[in-house]
Amino acid sequence: MAKTIALVGNPNSGKTTVFNALTGANQHVGNWPGVTVERKEGQTHHNNQTYRVVDLPGTYSLGAFSEDEVVAREFILTGNPDVVINVVDATNIERNLYLTTQLLEMGTKVVIALNMVDEAEAREIHVDEKALAQALGVPVVRTVASRRKGLDELMAAAAATIHAPMNGHVELSYGKAIDAKVARLRAFLAKGDFPYPQGWLAVKLLEGDEYVRQMVSESSALFELKTFRQFWDETVIHAGDLQLDIVDGRYKFVGEVTKHAVRRPEVEVETFTDKLDRVLTHRYWGMPIFAGIMLIVFQLTFAIGQDFLGEWMVVGMDYVGEGLDRLLVTLNAPGWLLDFASNGVVAGVGAVVEFVPLIVILYMLMGILEDSGYMARAAYVMDNTMRAVGLQGKTFISMIVGFGCNVPGVMATRTLENRKDRMIAILINPFMSCGAKIPIYLVFIAAFFPTHGGIVLFSAYALGILVAFLVAKIFSKTLFKGEVSHFIMELPPYRTPTLTNVLRNMWDNVSGFLARAGTTIFAVVSLLWVLAVLPTGAEPYGPASILGSIGQFIAPIFTPAGFGNWQAAVGLFSGIAAKEAVVATLGMVYAGVEEGAALVTAIQGAFTPLSAVSFMVMTLLYTPCAATLGTIRKETGSGKWALFSAVYAFAIGWLLAVAVFQIGSLMGFA
Amino acid sequence: MLKELLGEVDRADYLSMSRLATQIGQPISLVEEGLEALVRLGYLAEEASSTCQDLPCGRCPYASMCAKDSLKTWSVTEKGRSFLDRVR
Repeated sequence: MAKTIALVGNPNSGKTTVFNALTGANQHVGNWPGVTVERKEGQTHHNNQTYRVVDLPGTYSLGAFSEDEVVAREFILTGNPDVVINVVDATNIERNLYLTTQLLEMGTKVVIALNMVDEAEAREIHVDEKALAQALGVPVVRTVASRRKGLDELMAAAAATIHAPMNGHVELSYGKAIDAKVARLRAFLAKGDFPYPQGWLAVKLLEGDEYVRQMVSESSALFELKTFRQFWDETVIHAGDLQLDIVDGRYKFVGEVTKHAVRRPEVEVETFTDKLDRVLTHRYWGMPIFAGIMLIVFQLTFAIGQDFLGEWMVVGMDYVGEGLDRLLVTLNAPGWLLDFASNGVVAGVGAVVEFVPLIVILYMLMGILEDSGYMARAAYVMDNTMRAVGLQGKTFISMIVGFGCNVPGVMATRTLENRKDRMIAILINPFMSCGAKIPIYLVFIAAFFPTHGGIVLFSAYALGILVAFLVAKIFSKTLFKGEVSHFIMELPPYRTPTLTNVLRNMWDNVSGFLARAGTTIFAVVSLLWVLAVLPTGAEPYGPASILGSIGQFIAPIFTPAGFGNWQAAVGLFSGIAAKEAVVATLGMVYAGVEEGAALVTAIQGAFTPLSAVSFMVMTLLYTPCAATLGTIRKETGSGKWALFSAVYAFAIGWLLAVAVFQIGSLMGFA
Repeated sequence: MLKELLGEVDRADYLSMSRLATQIGQPISLVEEGLEALVRLGYLAEEASSTCQDLPCGRCPYASMCAKDSLKTWSVTEKGRSFLDRVR
């Protein structure tokens, strides 16, 4: 009868490559009984002998955490394999040897296929297979299964092991106290009738393996013993940290084995990432460095996006507008349609689209930062500040998400377990400068601060964060009191940004922006155009139109903030539907009054530099858009919190806008 | 090693696999494995930050506009805290 070889190993250890190389076409695939885990079997020949080879599921451990683990260990323990070939990835040997220690605990015959040794050597990981074999007490064979190297030697070692006495006599020690418990438990287990090795069963019981506990607890022979019942209650059921000690014992063993058998370059070497992080995440310097990097990003955005690319889009939109006009005239389209196309769609949607070059550059630069791994540092640097204002660091993650769009930003607060943290994170998220607010800043920068665009954009982002922190601090002291929970953030290694990732990131952002312009903004502009040209008889785009009447009704509220004109008021009003609509509305109402007027020129006439700043502050902070309010209602489970968010954000935006204008006026700014 | 690792994580301001490896004198792969084991055993909690990809953003065109870096956070659980208190 053919002897059985079981193949076991971590996922990606090359186990299946070994299996395929050994069995070739002589294999068949099925399922393990009762589970959906794939079962692969085949045949191989060595020295005129036929061997049955069973490929067990790839697994990191032989516990009971997954079906794969249970299938693998059940076959090793009860399937009676004559030998187990443990495929070990030499490039990741420490991790792979954890599984090996568990095989040794099982007392099964093991041969190690030290696979991918070529890759390990290329990475300067040198494994002394003789030292490894001696430390583990089992044969170790170097293989490169992908090139069929070492497979004959592997089969020879497996065949020899099958006929040799038991190998792998390595006794793992988990510390004196646990070793004593294992010995006592083994003595008890000898009185039962279990199909597993007693030593393995004892360790698994102390490790809290539910599958094994259930099996042993059904043994009436053992539970008739008072001493066992007492031992069971005190030691097995209330095992405390025994599990940690046992797992730790295995890692210590692996550490000891590899200390003598493995040489690798990176052990105890401070990496480039660590050195850089000592500066970039410094307790005091980290924040100014982050601010400096962001300022450079914004300055470059304007230097490249506006100076080099900006004109192309303006000329392009003019060309599209003129072309559309000509087409509609040629088709004898009615006057209202011409007006809608020219003053509604092109002026409104076009006003938003003209800023695409800047958005392209901004998101390309942000993509470089993200792909380099720096954004994780930024989150960490802010993490300390978050804790200082009474929030846990994870809150900043939802804020970073909010820089893209506040809707997922609010949803991202789901990761905060504590209600206090979550409620505050939801309420401050709309203060983040989402992508939709960028065109508002850009149009006012173009009108009043063309040479300081980077600083103004940076200030808008910074002000949003600052206000969010202040509001969070107030909320954590008043509305939502509670302790700050402690989290540690993982900082991934720095890497060179790849062109593909950066371009993909940029495209995702720009396509999202354009999609919004073509859908939501188009719909809002269409509705507002109707309101701007009705009622018939009233001057279109004038104060007597429905839109003008709404604007005039709201405008006085903004007089103390310096922009009490009806056009600004309807712009803000439409921004509650979607923030991009602010610019689209301004583009439409100004273009309709003065045919073909450039939005930037019109704004220069309607605002002063000071009232422009005050308007930007208002748009940054005031009532979130409808989609965000809807999400707040859904996430808090209460319309009251959505209403609260709408009202308090408006109040904060208005107060700060008024403060900016009034203080600025007192200081002599115009 | 696991106890040492848990103590280091508890003391750390942030988690860097290479720094932890340097501190406990083990290769990075073993540190990663050790942290996973501590999570499995309930002494640490690990959470990948929720980015847009994990959220039900539906057909929102901005769904792909958020931070794509999956920021991982770790915390010492109550079980881990009581263990550390006992051994200190």
